[in-house]
Amino acid sequence: MNHMDIKAKAPAKRRLSLQKKQNLVGWAFLLPAALLIVWMCFYPMLKALLLSFQSGQGARLSFAGLKNYAFLLKDSVFQQALKNNFIYLLIQVPIMLMLALMLAALLNNRKLKLRGLYRTAIFLPCATSLVSVSLIFRSMFAVGGFVNVTLMRLGMIQNDINWINGSGETARAVIIIALIWRWTGYNMVFYLSGLQNIDSTLYEAAYIDGANPLQQFRRITVPLLRPTILLTVILSTNGTLQLFDESFNLTRGGPSNLSITMSHYIYRTSFENVPKFGYAAAMSYVVFILVAVLALVQMRVGDKR
Amino acid sequence: MKKLVAVLLVLVMALSLTSVPAFAEAGSHKLTVWCWDPAFNIYAMQEAAKFYKEVDPAFELEVIETPWNDLQTKLTTAGMAGDYSTLPDIFLCQDNAFQKNVMAFPDMFTDLTASGIDFTQFGAAKTAYSVIDGKNYGVPFDNGAVIQAVRTDILEQAGYTVADLTDIDWNRYIEIGEDVLAKTGKPMLSSTAGEPDMVMIMLQSAGASLFDAEGKPAIAGNDVVKKAIELYATLVQKGILVEVTGWDGYIGTLVNGTVAGTINGCWIMASIQTAKDQAGKWAVTNMPKLPDVESATNYSNNGGSSWAVSANCKDTALAFDFLAKTYAGSVAFYEDILPSSGALATYLPAGQSDVYAAPQEFFGGDTVFAKITEFAGKIPSNYTGAYYYEARDAITVAITAIMAGGDADAALSEAQSTVEFAQGV
Amino acid sequence: MKRKLANVLVYVFLTVVALLSVFPLVWMAVSATNDSQTVLSGSLTPGRHLLDNYRNLLANQDVWKAMSNSLVYSLSQTLLALVICSFAGYGFEIFHTRNKDRLMSVLLLAMMVPLAATMVPLFQMMSKMGFLNTAAGFVLPSVSTPFLIMMFRQSARAFPHDIIEAARIDGLGEIRIFLRMFFPTMRSTYAAAMTITFMNAWNNYLWPKVIMQTNDAMTMPMLTANLMSGYVVDYGMLMVAVLLSTLPTVVIFFLLQKSFTEGIAGAVKG
Repeated sequence: MNHMDIKAKAPAKRRLSLQKKQNLVGWAFLLPAALLIVWMCFYPMLKALLLSFQSGQGARLSFAGLKNYAFLLKDSVFQQALKNNFIYLLIQVPIMLMLALMLAALLNNRKLKLRGLYRTAIFLPCATSLVSVSLIFRSMFAVGGFVNVTLMRLGMIQNDINWINGSGETARAVIIIALIWRWTGYNMVFYLSGLQNIDSTLYEAAYIDGANPLQQFRRITVPLLRPTILLTVILSTNGTLQLFDESFNLTRGGPSNLSITMSHYIYRTSFENVPKFGYAAAMSYVVFILVAVLALVQMRVGDKR
Repeated sequence: MKKLVAVLLVLVMALSLTSVPAFAEAGSHKLTVWCWDPAFNIYAMQEAAKFYKEVDPAFELEVIETPWNDLQTKLTTAGMAGDYSTLPDIFLCQDNAFQKNVMAFPDMFTDLTASGIDFTQFGAAKTAYSVIDGKNYGVPFDNGAVIQAVRTDILEQAGYTVADLTDIDWNRYIEIGEDVLAKTGKPMLSSTAGEPDMVMIMLQSAGASLFDAEGKPAIAGNDVVKKAIELYATLVQKGILVEVTGWDGYIGTLVNGTVAGTINGCWIMASIQTAKDQAGKWAVTNMPKLPDVESATNYSNNGGSSWAVSANCKDTALAFDFLAKTYAGSVAFYEDILPSSGALATYLPAGQSDVYAAPQEFFGGDTVFAKITEFAGKIPSNYTGAYYYEARDAITVAITAIMAGGDADAALSEAQSTVEFAQGV
Repeated sequence: MKRKLANVLVYVFLTVVALLSVFPLVWMAVSATNDSQTVLSGSLTPGRHLLDNYRNLLANQDVWKAMSNSLVYSLSQTLLALVICSFAGYGFEIFHTRNKDRLMSVLLLAMMVPLAATMVPLFQMMSKMGFLNTAAGFVLPSVSTPFLIMMFRQSARAFPHDIIEAARIDGLGEIRIFLRMFFPTMRSTYAAAMTITFMNAWNNYLWPKVIMQTNDAMTMPMLTANLMSGYVVDYGMLMVAVLLSTLPTVVIFFLLQKSFTEGIAGAVKG
């Protein structure tokens, strides 16, 4: 580093070349990651794109233009899956993120006792294996199960509800509840780590100014966590539109495909039914475009420097 | 934090030294097999290897445990990638998926027609699953013959015996079921909601298929399908059949005694027998037949799988000989695997053996194995078709619609067009 | 008075949420001590079958092989991903230019295609490079993820730039600035990223089941799938396996969770 000598000779020129140098250093920092993504993601994605213009069963494929995409317009299961994904997205993501934010704000309080215990407990659901999650959610929501018994005791329902197989609404409700249960703690972790970047003196000043905890939350926590919130919104949108596990394990997409997700249907098209990879790739690209557009909108709205 | 990272780094490096060895070379005298279920298929394979060692002392067999779902994913990925080099010599394939995989990846399978294996010794319905265009692609293995297993103690409370449930039709079954429900409060059957197994069992019991001989869907206007679904709906409405959620829920109703019986592939016996407290209280008989259907029988099939030889098999002579001398040629082998695995053969000569004729205390001292082998010989064949899973999903949707009070004909036409759509993509 | 009441409400709320969260885990732990029949009856009373279940599991599956495989794969992925992605996130934010921002947006696209679509070409690549059944095959596709890069980029935004400027004037090299200033400051981000990457790697199932084709390469999620594939499922034994496979994530989280809230400890101000 000898920019001290340069500084003495030509201030204007130094600025420029320094900027250039810094720019290059920046590229060096990010190049390994970028190249890996190009190699391991974009190249296979390009292949999948080419595949989406081919049609046929198994390995016997031929060029078909936009035929696969045209079929999507007529595929009622795909349309149902698309609708389901948006229902999950619009209901589950806001509830989950608000809950996570609230929990993180509460658990960030240094005076709170048993903080570590609470934090670990609330994180646990996403570490719990899906096998036990689906076993227990099925038995809890079964006819005669814990949830029905409790609701009947509380007088909220008259008869058992067949949650998982009774109707699309209840099956989707179970999926949404399972998702909130499983992923709230996960998102809380992002917020907890993001909260560390907020100077605690801000809260002290607000407290002296007489701001109540709710005002502090709205005026300090939320605005300063903005980058983290944006990150979790994009992540959750992506995760929800690619949702597979809960549909596959918990409701098996039923009843009558009323709770199936797009990823589940793509999986079914590729591996359970007669393999139609061209068609599956076309569906994947629809998911891709939807997520990309939503992420773009979210970044426009949320990413202000 | 720094310390933790350092510890982790050391740990990873230490563990990396014990890294994974390369894929075993497929040389002579050695075969690699993909299959699932240690207590059943894997056990049978290892016993078969022991038997074959007497023929070829240098013989070695490596079993790689692979659940069916994973196996299908691996087959499809290898097939799509056009890279068969990763496949084993022999793999187990679900019977329902056989037609599909052979159609999608024809050159992934080795034609076994002229392999020297005698396919006439197996039940015709079973062999039919792995025959495509007149060529044999699979060696039949485990038996999916449908049984009706009942709790004799519960039936007794209502004044019935197993004989009352044998060789009957569904109308009679419903009468008994209503009576049993009224007297004991227990339903006769349980099934997994959203799975059409029971309807599919009824269909095959009358030799009916969801496809015609040309592979075109034959769902709309199919009277047997309609009758089976309506029957299923009646069973549920009358409370004779209780629908539960998930496989675990279904097994729970059996082992916890909440139902008086079940109708399923004979492999369900292994799960029933985990309820040791119910020993001697179970009995096995055949299933009810569809009323007013000319081709109706009391026999059907659900599940089961067959062995396939992959295109990656370097020593097909060895694979053929191994299969011919064990699965397709040794009664002693089937006698050996039966007691500890309960793996029932579809190899008909095995049914005559003494081991199969031994009484089973759990099932009231009945000779259930010989009985089931006899059932297996009477199952009507049906045509699975490559689009079996699409049709199965479509039928599930139709069942839900009809049970919710929808018009049966309309629901079946809808199912028909769903399958036609899938075939057109 | 009002403050006290609010305090009590907070504790009640947190306790209820915590109990709801741990309930399935408790159920799982209890189930691991029961035999299969009792598990299916939905019992919440601990039984005496834990050792039997564990012995059955050992007789049935090579659990410790699968555990150590999963550990090697997951830790390698976590460490490599943390290094590569934190460098990239830092590069994108601290040296940010319009072109880099554009590149970031493009890279973000990489996480938006379902794996089912890219699996076949990825499998072809891994097979050609001889990476089937290896840790490299497991790790390579997910060692550089847009999500982690973005996570580090977002947190680098809060990192004061004037400190870097000061360090440069002091003659510190760029790598050193990263290692000595950024890395210790961002420990809460690293801890969160580490927990989450480890968990994702540990629970990854779809990809390993395609590329791992020998018994010796098996992972814990694959082993759990094995236990559920038979005609008879021993739910007591299954729960022991599930319990074992949950432990590492819980331990990692428990060890690291302090870092989430200790945060900027002196490094910035000092």
